[in-house]
Amino acid sequence: MKNRIQLTLVELICILAAFIVMIPFLIILLNSFKDIREAALFGLSLPSEWVFTNYSRVFERADIVRGFKNSFLISGFTVFLIIICASTSAFIIQRRNSILTQRIFIMYIIGLIMPTAIVPTIQLMVDLNINGTYAAVIFYYVAVMLPFAIFLLVGFMKSIPRELDEAAIIDGCNYPRMFFQIIFPLLMPVLITVTIVVMINVWNDFTGPFYLITDTKKWTVVLLIYNFMSQYETDWGLVFAFMTIVISPILIIYILLQRYIIHGLTAGSVKG
Amino acid sequence: MIKKYPLYFLLPAFAVFAVFFITPTITGVYYSFTNWNVNSPIIKFTGIDNYVRMWSEPRIHLAFRNTFIFAFAVTILQTSIGLILALMMHEKLYTRNILRTIFFAPYVIATLIIGYIFKVLYHPDKGIVNHTLDGLGLGFLSHDWLHDPNVALLAIILTDVWKSIGFVMVIFLAGLQFIPKDILESANIDGANYWHRFRHVTFPLLAPSFTVNVLLSIIGSLKVFEIVIVLTGGGPGYRTEVFNTYVMRAFSQGEFGYATAINMLLFLVVTGVGVPVLYWLRKREVEL
Repeated sequence: MKNRIQLTLVELICILAAFIVMIPFLIILLNSFKDIREAALFGLSLPSEWVFTNYSRVFERADIVRGFKNSFLISGFTVFLIIICASTSAFIIQRRNSILTQRIFIMYIIGLIMPTAIVPTIQLMVDLNINGTYAAVIFYYVAVMLPFAIFLLVGFMKSIPRELDEAAIIDGCNYPRMFFQIIFPLLMPVLITVTIVVMINVWNDFTGPFYLITDTKKWTVVLLIYNFMSQYETDWGLVFAFMTIVISPILIIYILLQRYIIHGLTAGSVKG
Repeated sequence: MIKKYPLYFLLPAFAVFAVFFITPTITGVYYSFTNWNVNSPIIKFTGIDNYVRMWSEPRIHLAFRNTFIFAFAVTILQTSIGLILALMMHEKLYTRNILRTIFFAPYVIATLIIGYIFKVLYHPDKGIVNHTLDGLGLGFLSHDWLHDPNVALLAIILTDVWKSIGFVMVIFLAGLQFIPKDILESANIDGANYWHRFRHVTFPLLAPSFTVNVLLSIIGSLKVFEIVIVLTGGGPGYRTEVFNTYVMRAFSQGEFGYATAINMLLFLVVTGVGVPVLYWLRKREVEL
């Protein structure tokens, strides 16, 4: 049958393309298990001898363990603040739907496209006396990623019936309690998406810590890689092991929760 | 019916956004008109001096040119390859789910790390790119990718395409799901072949996905930074200098006012390109 052959052909082309996309991943993974000489060849072959010391050497370094803590701390707090700020805001924007809230929504949408003015941001942190602190980076991220979260949440909020709010208010519930006890739990699916997408963006970001963190003790893992490369560019096995360790948590989260990530990133983008 | 949802719920988000996004944007406009730098103790208003200086610097012209070539090429390549991939993946493939997982994976990796990985792939003697070209008998195509002024920008473009192709594909796949099957079937019964069905049914109905992809791609690639810093640092010479690498250079030389002015120009360019493109793409969308 002609159709069957065509379909198999399409499948083969896709598999080939997927293989090409995977090559860079395979190269760092395979070379992270090679000794210093073999790793420097950047080959796609299996290691002639499997070496695991690259990994143990990475974990021996105190700064890397600290880097992970910093990355977790910064992305964790950012997620927490974004969830609180964005969900409350999105609730009112969607429910009131007045000229005022529409304008506020448009303001956030503009924030979605605009590039951040990074140099004045540094000066602002100096003026607020928080330059170089975790708080500076965290607030910078919250401000930058808030528009995306609000955009996503406003879209989702439409699917939560107003009757719930009304019933709760009639039963004598106040607004904060009504929101956090009744509406908030119903937002879970989209909050998971927001959490993962924000987490990944903060974890992967270079610009924020590069400009806003000067203290090496507060560096995130991505900034450490930047610094690491200039010091150890000859020890490729070690570098590849370090890279593998930094990408792994993200890749694992992605593979497990890809439904939420892909849904979140594409939500609101195509009209149903 | 509740009419008065409390406005104070808007406050936490608005406070953070006003202080940490709007404020630096507004002060940025002011700083871009000053001589603010590490050497002078006081910030002095200098009018449009920074903008005049920018105009006379050949490097900003290069940054302009490179950023636009980059944005244009990335948008075209990403959208077209992403569309082709999506059309193939929309067929009933056995390995569809795992393939989608793989195609999208580069998108969740730190751009900085992607830069370092591709530096390895592009290595002139040991990199897999040149090895593969040699192996295919296309050795004449091999280059010192990141140091040859003729191909360095291309190397960066291809890296960015590799990173974002899965995202573009996923958006198109979502769009394809919304095309009603009966429209395609009736076109089929009317004797339309695959190309005709694509040209007259699928393509026009995919317009919303096009809008999203093209717009995000343009906006994102005008702001390109990490990938250039890692791969070429803006070199060789200034052959791959883009807006944000130029901002970083001015910043690290302590010329804060000037760096902010370049940032403002980037802001104007992003808005100036993004808004008309959005308007134009919206106009050709078909309402179902």
